[in-house]
Amino acid sequence: MRLVPPAGTTGTATAALRAQVREFLAEQLAAGTFTPAVDAWLCGWDENFTRLLAQRGWLGMTVPEHYGGHGRSFDERFIVTEELLAAGAPVAAHWIADRQIVPSLLKYGTEEQKHEFLPRIVRGECFFGIGMSEPDSGSDLASVRTRAMRLDGGWSVSGTKVWTSGAHRAHAFIVLARTEPVDPAHRHAGLSQFIVDLRAPGVDVRPIISMNGGHHFNEVILDDVFIPDAMVFGRIGEGWTQVTSELSFERSGPERFLSTFPVLTDAVEHLAVQGIARDAELGRLVARVTGLHHMSTAVADALQRGEAPDVPAAVVKVLGTTVEGDIADFADLRTGDDIATGDSWRDLLAHAVDQRSGFTLRGGTNEVLRGVIARGLGMR
Amino acid sequence: MRAIGMPPGAPSGVDSDLIDMIESVFADYRHAHNRADSGPGSACDRALWQRLDTLGLVRLTGAEEFGGSGASWRESSELLAAAVRHGVRLPLAEHDLLACWLLEATGQPVDSSIRAVHIVPRAGRPGGPTPWAGVADRLVVLWWTGTQYRLADADVAALTITPGTNLIGEPRDTVQADTSQWTGQPVAPELVTELKRKAALLRSIQVCAALDGAVAMSVAHATSRTQFGRPLGKFQAIQNLVADAAAEAALARAATEVALSTALESGWTSEYLGFQIAVSRSCAGHAASVVTRNAHQVHGAIGTTHEHRLHELTRAALTWRSENGSVHFWDKRISAVAAAAGPAQLWALITATP
Repeated sequence: MRLVPPAGTTGTATAALRAQVREFLAEQLAAGTFTPAVDAWLCGWDENFTRLLAQRGWLGMTVPEHYGGHGRSFDERFIVTEELLAAGAPVAAHWIADRQIVPSLLKYGTEEQKHEFLPRIVRGECFFGIGMSEPDSGSDLASVRTRAMRLDGGWSVSGTKVWTSGAHRAHAFIVLARTEPVDPAHRHAGLSQFIVDLRAPGVDVRPIISMNGGHHFNEVILDDVFIPDAMVFGRIGEGWTQVTSELSFERSGPERFLSTFPVLTDAVEHLAVQGIARDAELGRLVARVTGLHHMSTAVADALQRGEAPDVPAAVVKVLGTTVEGDIADFADLRTGDDIATGDSWRDLLAHAVDQRSGFTLRGGTNEVLRGVIARGLGMR
Repeated sequence: MRAIGMPPGAPSGVDSDLIDMIESVFADYRHAHNRADSGPGSACDRALWQRLDTLGLVRLTGAEEFGGSGASWRESSELLAAAVRHGVRLPLAEHDLLACWLLEATGQPVDSSIRAVHIVPRAGRPGGPTPWAGVADRLVVLWWTGTQYRLADADVAALTITPGTNLIGEPRDTVQADTSQWTGQPVAPELVTELKRKAALLRSIQVCAALDGAVAMSVAHATSRTQFGRPLGKFQAIQNLVADAAAEAALARAATEVALSTALESGWTSEYLGFQIAVSRSCAGHAASVVTRNAHQVHGAIGTTHEHRLHELTRAALTWRSENGSVHFWDKRISAVAAAAGPAQLWALITATP
């Protein structure tokens, strides 16, 4: 019984790519293009930075060349994103499109949809959101109530989506909706996905302000929004299968253990004067991040092989999002008003502590993911 | 130093016939000797050792020209894991991976004696107990002369050995060696470093095997035991306990697999190897806390008895995680290495990419 594919060393080919990204990041830091931040894949919306990445070929890396992409491997994309997150770089603008819309489009999109969206995603000109959660459907996605009604030449979609990161800036999102009434015996049947233009008539994007005043989440109300047949995503009735195939991409990536890495980096520097450098807890956290880097790499390899590693992805996310929070708490426990620290440290830490509550919720709560792991162990 | 035909970073690739053969030897043995180890004397059954020897398993990684089987640490990891799963206590690792390897590496002859390694503590420093000294025929003794390490392949009769055991009954003996009259062979400092790395990593391998076994046992128990009209595994609270244990064990395994791959691909010389072994010890050590707690919680009172075999895995994991340095020791070492790397190189350290 193995929950996670075997982990191995990554070889020298990847070292060159890592070096390129690090050189780029060092240049940008020196130029003051960005300040390392916590959760920068969710909160760090910087379209200029996104375009800089696009110029270097680091967006839509896995998109084949005939769709305007770079034909790189999923492993190579993993390396680039890992480097960007470790540096706390602002990658939120393109994050969703690059992470899960690209593989979903490649797998389920029509030729027209691929030609429409992929080249623009690769150029850093088209940003996406996620339209899964609803006010009454958090972890229980099969209970979505957004309805799509058949019309001549398309569909009419009505309902409310929540927690749609960046919907106030993005161009489109993929909406999960019911196209058949709920069949209690087959709850996962009758669901379908639609590509929805966030500026279309009948779409109302309303901010959901986070407890620290930040705005990245939104509520998106769809009131009789017309979706032409050309924007049906995948097959009608196959929504559940399509959504769950996205989840392995969403759950196993480096953003599930590196969201607070800039805190860990700064802790090594800022807290050294207090003897924290010899703190065993720091060692424990560095060890866990290292182990998660190995494990997440192994899952990326499985994705590259075309497997559907939903269980190992759940393992990465449960462990990784916990350690992200542990890092925030580690730093917070050692920072009081008796300690002279700079404003940048306090800002970083405050953001980490505020964001922490979301780590183990977004992308599937850890409680739901433990159920996924239990299923993988044959207990459900 | 890589096993033939194995791409870098690939899973173990160990021949499945070998794995099956190892499994059946230990399973047969436990079928015939179905008692949990209960103290000194139960460890290192010479008859079993002889059987393993005839199968070529006690010198698994030895060079074939010296009577070994020419296998790698990957095969040896499978051997150690099988012994752990079946609760069979033998000095397989200490004999093959440490003592006989060291003799071979320094050009010494190797015979069929059972061996372990003893490092003489430097003057004024406390020495820990020596694994398996009391049951070995010979000890490969290393001592510091003040200018270099030297090594001798000593008959145990030439040493003063006070028996002791660890929590699970494995010999952990106090050895007194008067090396003042010995000449011995000089040992390069790199070999001593390699010895210490190997000794540390083999405990990670053993802990991982024990944790995987405890998780598997917990799953089996939770799916077969019924309470309140349902199998235990149908309760979310139980699922959570087992899922967390399984996740911790998987993290320990990932860290240990990477440390082993780095070791084998670099011939134990990678500049990142010391850090990666420390990481494997930290992850495995902390995983042992969670897996032990959760596995016993899932098993209920029956798991706390001598009769039930869960303790053969959980107590072993807790024992081995504290040998060759406590978990705290390894955590502090990682912390120090991270601090020495500094904020600019922390990520390079983690990814083993300069």
